[in-house]
Amino acid sequence: MEQPRPADGSGATAEGAARFRAQVEPEIEVLLRVAGSLTANQADAEDLVQETLLRAYRAIDRFDGRHPRAWLLTILRNTNASLHRRKRPSVVEDEVLALGAPAFGKESSASAEDDAIAAEIGPELRAGIAALKPAFRQAVILVDVNDLSYAEAAAVMDVPVGTVMSRLSRARAKLREHLASAGHLRGAESEGGVR
Amino acid sequence: MINSIRAAVTCRWSARRIGRYLDADPSAILSARDVARLEGHLEVCARCSSALGEFRFLDRLLGSMTPTVDADSLSRMRGYLDRVEQTSGGDGRV
Repeated sequence: MEQPRPADGSGATAEGAARFRAQVEPEIEVLLRVAGSLTANQADAEDLVQETLLRAYRAIDRFDGRHPRAWLLTILRNTNASLHRRKRPSVVEDEVLALGAPAFGKESSASAEDDAIAAEIGPELRAGIAALKPAFRQAVILVDVNDLSYAEAAAVMDVPVGTVMSRLSRARAKLREHLASAGHLRGAESEGGVR
Repeated sequence: MINSIRAAVTCRWSARRIGRYLDADPSAILSARDVARLEGHLEVCARCSSALGEFRFLDRLLGSMTPTVDADSLSRMRGYLDRVEQTSGGDGRV
């Protein structure tokens, strides 16, 4: 039996609405983090996420349910692009990704030693990230800072997974060179060895 | 000479797989055979082992930069989610 829809045809069926809550709500935090790296401030990030949630709600009945996060990140990317076209018709590709507020000292830090190292090297690392080409910077921020998978980052960047991997590899190599030249990798090799 | 060429080739092969090895991403998992070959090389190559350590260190540093999501912001988005579901047309208006 076909599910009833709102009279104007928008919105979701009852089944779609139930899936929406179950599949979308757990991803709000990730959406906010990624939106924070794509926008200039928290208010813009929230606007972006709100518009994303609305579009996702309207599209939930067409979603196969297999990869909610990648699906939502694709909507977020497209929403961000269309919001930019409205505000500023110029090219979006050169937008500098923001790192957001540093999380040094956050509760989930592994140790006080990690905090101290991060606080000491953080500014140099940020400088290294800022010096990357935008495409490489975007890859490392999405995967290494925001902990997205390759496929999820590919959804945000609208490129194949292989391109994400290539950009990530080059970005990491550049950052390693940058930190090494600043003398920050001495002793880091003690972390070598197999998993 | 052939051993040094072979070693250089293995180093290059390993360098191209260290990222995938560390990430263990579902889209690019190394085969068990490749993992064994890489780990075997890391046991005997100081340079590649050092590189792995540096990448691990970099990974920890970058991971420590994960931005915290403001709790109020999260709460506002959940509230918006409620409104999207509750409004009859799904247009998000309160």
